[in-house]
This record gives sequence, C-alpha cells and structure tokens, in this order.
Amino acid sequence: MKGVLPSIVTRIDQECSSSKGEPTPEIEKNHVHRVYDAIAPHFSSTRFAKWPKVQAFLNSLLCGSLVLDAGCGNGKYLGLNTNCYFIGCDISSPLVNICAQKGNEVLVADAVNLPYRSGYGDAAISIAVLHHLSTELRRRRAVEELIRVVRTGGSVLVTVWAREQEDRSLISKWTPLSQKYTEDWVGSSSPRTHSDSPSFSLQSIPENDESEPRGDFSDEHTDRTCQQEYLVPWHLPYHRAEVSGTSATALSTGLARKDDKKGAVVYDRYYHVFSEGELERLVSSVDGAIVVDKFYDKSNWCIILKKI
Amino acid sequence: MRLITHNMLSSNIKGVTNGFPLRIEAEKVVEKEVDFNPDFLRNMFSKIEWKALTDASKALGYAELPEETEPSMLESELFLRKLHHALLELHLEEGALVCPETGRKFPVNKGIPNMLLHEDEV
Repeated sequence: MKGVLPSIVTRIDQECSSSKGEPTPEIEKNHVHRVYDAIAPHFSSTRFAKWPKVQAFLNSLLCGSLVLDAGCGNGKYLGLNTNCYFIGCDISSPLVNICAQKGNEVLVADAVNLPYRSGYGDAAISIAVLHHLSTELRRRRAVEELIRVVRTGGSVLVTVWAREQEDRSLISKWTPLSQKYTEDWVGSSSPRTHSDSPSFSLQSIPENDESEPRGDFSDEHTDRTCQQEYLVPWHLPYHRAEVSGTSATALSTGLARKDDKKGAVVYDRYYHVFSEGELERLVSSVDGAIVVDKFYDKSNWCIILKKI
Repeated sequence: MRLITHNMLSSNIKGVTNGFPLRIEAEKVVEKEVDFNPDFLRNMFSKIEWKALTDASKALGYAELPEETEPSMLESELFLRKLHHALLELHLEEGALVCPETGRKFPVNKGIPNMLLHEDEV
C-alpha cells in the first residue's frame, strides 16, 4: 500500500516511526484535557442521545464481541449492545469516574498510546475523538492504535466533526486559529496571546449578540472555507462551576473566561475539523486495514475499517 | 478492574519490549456477580493468555483455575463457571499494576486503572 502513496505522505510516515513518543502538545493539555476535566459532569449530563449510526454499528457485531471504546467520554456507548462486552478508556479521569459509576469497565489512558496488547478486541470505536488531536502525526497514531488493538477481521468505526457543518451559523460561534498560532501552541509551555487570536480576559466579557460572530471577520466567508483549526466554546453554568476549584484556577490563568450575561464560565475546546475526504486519506495512509464504509452524518465524517 | 481487562493490559512505557503481563499488587478485591454466558466465555478463551490469567487470579485470591487447559474443557460447565468467576466477577478495587520490565506502578483506584504515562516515559 505504501508504494502508491504520494512521497510527502511517505516522508511523514518515516518521521512517525522514529518519533513514536512525543509529549502531549500544550494546546491539547489546555484546550482538551483540562477543559473536559473541568466540565465533566455538565458535559456528561448533555451527552445522552445515542447516535443511530453508532448504535447500528454496535448492533451489527457478533454476539460476545469485545468492544474497545477509545475516548469513551461519559461512557454513552458502553454496554449499548448488551450481547457485547465493552471496555472504555478516556484521558479524562473525571469522565472515566462517571463511566465507572454506571458500572462500566473503564480505565484512564491515552488514545495515541493505548495500553492494550495487540489483536485482543473484536471491534473498536472512536467517536468524536480524533478531532481533538492537534497534529496529523497524532491523528494517524490514534488510527494505528485502533487497528492494532483489534483482531484480524475486526472492525473499527471512527467519527469526527466535519468542517462542512450542516448548520453553518454554528461555525460563527467558533474562534478560528491561524496556522502560526497552532504551531506556537504545540511548542509552548504556557498560553500566550497571539495577534490573530482573541485574548483571554480575566474580566467578564459581555457576550455578543448570538447572531454576531467572533474573531476576525473581515473576510469571513473565504477565511472559514479553508479553516480547520478552531476553539469551540463550552458554557459551564456558574452553579456547576466549582467556586474554589478547577474553574477558579482556569479563570485566573486565563484558560477560561466569565460570561456574566449567560452566567457561565466559558471554556474553549480545541478542534481540528476534518475536510471532506481527509478522514479517508488519513486511514488509507495506515497499513493493515481497508475501508468498508464511509459516510457523512449529522455534520460528522465517519468511516468503518476492517483489519486485514 | 476485572481480569478480562487485565489480560489485555500492557505497559507501553518507552523502551519496554514486553510489558505484558502486568503484575498485580492487590490491596482491595471485591466480588460482583455477573450473568453466566458460556458463548461469550468460549469466544474469549482463544484470546486469553492463560498463565497471565492464573497468576492474576491467584493475586486476587482465587486459585481454582487449572494450570493447563485443553479445548475439551470448553464443554465442561464446571470449568466455564470457574473461568467466568475469574474473568468477570473478581474486581481489583484498590492496588497497582506493575510493569514487568521497569517495575513502574500503575495505580488502580476505585476499580479504575490509570495507565497514563509521565512525560519522560513516552
């Protein structure tokens, strides 16, 4: 399969194998891990609707299948098919605790480096996870891991947010990151403002009118069509944010801001939204599996792989 | 953490060539009943590293599993019941999983293993 890849992708593959271990980029620490840790119970309470496409995939599995959910979040899909056995993992301890409280078998782990021996699972799912990984290298590593941990003939389902959102007005509430900003974040040890990015303020910011977009909008339409790196706000209501805990620290370090008008602490989650065809190109660059289905559903690009 | 999970877990610390199986240090073990499903057990049987399971089971205080197995055992309800108990009904609530090469301990709290690596282990 490698022989038909364009040379640039082959070069990235070579870099990948020599840099198997790399530290977690700061943008993920600050705008994925710490955010989910802070919002876990609230996030979990909003995550109850079972996506029919995921449900259909899980129901298609043979009785007695062992299913690995990498990046299981609040465990919404664990145990969804009562004929299968689920083991979930997530990088967020607070979210994993919520899964465990529901009686699920879970552990705290990193989707880029799964602590599982190879070929044990019958199926693996990665639902809304890869878009939180900030480099193509890491996204590819996560796909490699999903394929590695299932047996030959096993299935993998991956879903990610699409750049092509069904509700275009949603994107206007997101903050686009410039490419340089993203590069700065991957290497830096602390958040710092960038000329093209919004500054995080300790004071409460009067929220814009809902219809008014954030960020630089001098060329809104053309900027957004190519843009794939975003910070997407999560509003944690004051009554849910601990006064003397995570949110207070987040506010004081500038990782969150207050919105008095909405009565919420606002956290920004990092997303790399996938463009059409990107997910397929990503999985095709990994050996060992073939694409058996691909589709767009509810503003997500989805793909099903089979390990060969 | 059930032993079905432990049988899959491996230390992924940088430089470790074989991080499986992790040695169990058990501080608190509980038993929780689970419905018996022989078909599931038969499906799992081929994936299991048997010695790792028997060692882990002993670490959790259950020494009833045979040391060696053969396919005909899958037709024995007595054997399947023992396998069921060891694989699904024993829970390590508090303790640690120890990397066989480095000795690094991965903590298990409230039944949840934390397998995250430190920056220098990646």
